[in-house]
Amino acid sequence: MIPVMWLVATAYKPPKDMFSSPPAFLFEPTLLNFRRVFEVFDVWQLLKSSLVISIGSAVLSLLLGVPAGYALARSRWRYAIGVAYLFLAVRTVPIIATLLPFYLMMRDIGLLGTWWAVILINTTLNCAFVTWMMFSYFRSLPKDMEEAALTDGCTLWGAFWRVALPTVTPGIIASALFCVMFSWNDFLVAMFLTNSDSKPLSVALLAAFGTKDITWGTLGALAHFSTVPIMLMALFLNRYFVQGLTKGVH
Amino acid sequence: MRFDDRRKLFLLALALPAVVYIAVIALWPLAQGIAYSFFEYNLLRRGGTKTFVGLQNYVDLLTDKTGQRALINTFVFTIGAVVFQFVLGLGLALLLWRDSRFNRICLAFLLIPVTITPLVVGLIFRALLAVDYGYFGYYLAEWGITSPRGLLAGTTTALPTLIFVDIWEWTPLVALILLAGLKALPSDILEAAAADGATAWQRFRLVILPLLLPTVFLALVLRMMDAFRVFDSIFVTTGGGPADATNSLMVYGVKQGLQFFNIGYASAIANVSILCIALMAAGFTLLIRRADVKANER
Repeated sequence: MIPVMWLVATAYKPPKDMFSSPPAFLFEPTLLNFRRVFEVFDVWQLLKSSLVISIGSAVLSLLLGVPAGYALARSRWRYAIGVAYLFLAVRTVPIIATLLPFYLMMRDIGLLGTWWAVILINTTLNCAFVTWMMFSYFRSLPKDMEEAALTDGCTLWGAFWRVALPTVTPGIIASALFCVMFSWNDFLVAMFLTNSDSKPLSVALLAAFGTKDITWGTLGALAHFSTVPIMLMALFLNRYFVQGLTKGVH
Repeated sequence: MRFDDRRKLFLLALALPAVVYIAVIALWPLAQGIAYSFFEYNLLRRGGTKTFVGLQNYVDLLTDKTGQRALINTFVFTIGAVVFQFVLGLGLALLLWRDSRFNRICLAFLLIPVTITPLVVGLIFRALLAVDYGYFGYYLAEWGITSPRGLLAGTTTALPTLIFVDIWEWTPLVALILLAGLKALPSDILEAAAADGATAWQRFRLVILPLLLPTVFLALVLRMMDAFRVFDSIFVTTGGGPADATNSLMVYGVKQGLQFFNIGYASAIANVSILCIALMAAGFTLLIRRADVKANER
């Protein structure tokens, strides 16, 4: 717990105590660092970038992954499970392997430096994850209800949308949570694919680190913005979070 | 059209967008990466022309001192981190098994390290271990426990320190997964074992552990794959140094590829890590299967 407390404490520490040697344990709390953060960074713009990237990728991943997971779970095709495993495998590939060719690809079609580039590549991992996760959710769901709905004259789309989908809401929430967390916390991809206008919070944090006029206090304050939203989300959706952990790969 | 055919078409239409997406944006670059790894291809040298060199990039990686070091470091890091995370995580999970108010509060705290941006974790530890103003670093150096330059600057201490950071960050995750597995155990079997007068250790070794095995393997494979891809924490604390002491495959690959634009060599590094991860995953999948079968036989 000490590291977390340090992060919180540092953000409220006055600059003069920051580099005192030996380190100061007691200090007068101040909001100076937060004021400084807003002076140095365009915090709202950074938050907006982080939000656009993570929500954008989550939405796209769900749109692609949920129907695919359903189709693979309900398919009687012999190789459907093989395809599902392929999605799982895609998720475990280290990002560096796809990032290089993807970088060149984005350069060629002129999307380098835009949110789209980051959303697109994050969506490969996220979509693969969602597909696998929803595949395991739908597979553990009995087919009876859908069959009954179909014999009652429900359309195929209706059986999917109105009968099967509502029963897996926890799975969808868990998937969305993980997609958002993954994109929000990434900095490697964003570092290389965005420019100064489109960079998210994480990249700004890394860039700010080690610059002369930015102290640990300012950095700690900025880290608040990067850490607190995800932490709150995970705490409130605790149940889904743990569910996602155990179902995501099994 | 027959109903069965219509169903097939419908399912195909649902699956197709995701399949096409993954094929174009993940598998195609992946295939390109495999192809690049057989070329000498540097964007900054000779105008970025490609020369076919066969397996030379792989040979270079395995014979080059830095490459070997990165490979060894990655394995040491993965095994060291995962073993400790498993032992500590299992202990935590067993402690938090009973449902009580206190335990539920502890659970909420466990979530915190898991959800903190890994980048921020790296920054925090870097500051804490700094010798001139960090809470840990200052006193460790002052009392002569570490060299005056601190844990992260020593070639022998840097890697263990980073392993420690990883343990701090991810042990809670292992605990959470194992706890979910413990809570899913059939209570009648546990009660029967208790009624038979088995001691706590006997119950753990003969009843709980065998039933928990699939979850254990799941937690292990998840962590192994992630630990093998370690990048964030190393990148922001030591950047692979001092003198390659903490260089991992991912850090090395990113440096080669995205800083020196040595695409061919970087692709080879990436492919070697994919191969290692695939082998580990395959091994564990077999173990999970076997454990599943055994658990069902009981």
